[in-house]
Amino acid sequence: MHTAFKKRWLHKINPALKLFTLTFLFIFAVTIHHLNFMITFTLTVSILFFFCTGQPYKHILLFLLPFLFVFFSTAVSMILFGKGETTLFKWGLVHVTEESLYRGLHLGCRALVFAMMGITFVLTTKPVQLFYSLMQQLKLQPKYAYSFMAAIRLIPIMFEELQTIRDAQKVRGVQTRKGISSLIKSIKSLPIPLLSQSIRRAFRIAVAMEAKRFNSSKERTFYYKIRFSRYDLLFIGYFVLSISGAYIIAMEFPLFPIKDVRN
Amino acid sequence: MSKRLKLTDILVTIVISTGFGILYKIWGPLYYAVKPLGLHIDQLIYGMWFMAATAAFLIIRKPGVALLAEVAASSGEFLMGSEFGLEVLLYGIVQGLFAELLLMAFRYKRYDLLAVSLAGISSCLGSLILDFYKGYIGDLSTWNLILYIGFRLIGTILFTGVFAIAIVKALEATGVTNLVRSSSRKDFESLDQ
Repeated sequence: MHTAFKKRWLHKINPALKLFTLTFLFIFAVTIHHLNFMITFTLTVSILFFFCTGQPYKHILLFLLPFLFVFFSTAVSMILFGKGETTLFKWGLVHVTEESLYRGLHLGCRALVFAMMGITFVLTTKPVQLFYSLMQQLKLQPKYAYSFMAAIRLIPIMFEELQTIRDAQKVRGVQTRKGISSLIKSIKSLPIPLLSQSIRRAFRIAVAMEAKRFNSSKERTFYYKIRFSRYDLLFIGYFVLSISGAYIIAMEFPLFPIKDVRN
Repeated sequence: MSKRLKLTDILVTIVISTGFGILYKIWGPLYYAVKPLGLHIDQLIYGMWFMAATAAFLIIRKPGVALLAEVAASSGEFLMGSEFGLEVLLYGIVQGLFAELLLMAFRYKRYDLLAVSLAGISSCLGSLILDFYKGYIGDLSTWNLILYIGFRLIGTILFTGVFAIAIVKALEATGVTNLVRSSSRKDFESLDQ
């Protein structure tokens, strides 16, 4: 996912620290049961997503589309089928209550926050730097890190192969007929060659790495040195300040007259 | 014959799982597309997300593979820009861990439909626990919650059990699995004669 973008301060943060901070915020977000705070918390994350990834706004809006869909579909099943006392609307099995409406909105915000945190991370972190950082800061064993990096390199090759298999089937005149048995056959005809080819390729890469004396010893050198910088402090400082601000605003100027959405 | 994961095992597991990660990435929009229909039809296809663990385990058959596969598949999905964001990583770790625990209970010696289906159901349980905290599913109407869990279980058995075994059987027919499965002692003994 590397389109034309400007490098911003978010790109300069230590990848392991960024992942760790966002994971902490993820767990923190699950403990929020207060709808107003959830909404202001969503705002603090969306500021980073909208203004700090360095992507053109056209892309940002494109990314936003599926997120809004996720927001909608997550909220709807809780709104329509959730428990609650104060009925707003009832039609057959559908039972919308005030409680389930607020809970649905809350869940939608939650899904939105996770999605925006994830995409912000992905847009501002190169996978190679992430795995180098995990090796250096979190002592991840090199054999795992290098396997991950090799697998990421193989993704475009897998897509190419998928196209080749499809073309080959077309050339050989494989026709799709209707019926369940031919559907199963067509489902089998794509992943099996793709998987077997990937296993062969992975095996060959592993043999080559071992032949070149690849090892997992702790005293190894790294091509990229990933360090910490003042941008890391800025990143943590941003969240400390913005979340405190979000909390105060949510308590002083509540949008909805509800405290805990679980009740 | 070593039971520990060698570089080959790790690399092959991660590459297979990255393939599943691509599949998961395509599965996300599909899941959300069937979701607004209500009545949890979406849960029938949820089992796909547990499949990397059992499929990889059926191919490599070593301790730790199921967990590694789920982590790799979910981080692959994450790095490709999933709609679920960070959530997939946490779910991946928990689901992999639960599948791993069940396979460990069988001492990694059973590779049949029952064992892998149970591993899938264990993953499913892990995901439900997370849903309980994150998605407040306990606050759904009772009939709706039963539908939700029931559909997810059916999908789980279908994907992690039936489909995973079918795929691995087909892979075995191509002979590619012999590359990664260490030859058994029986094979060596047959050479001596």
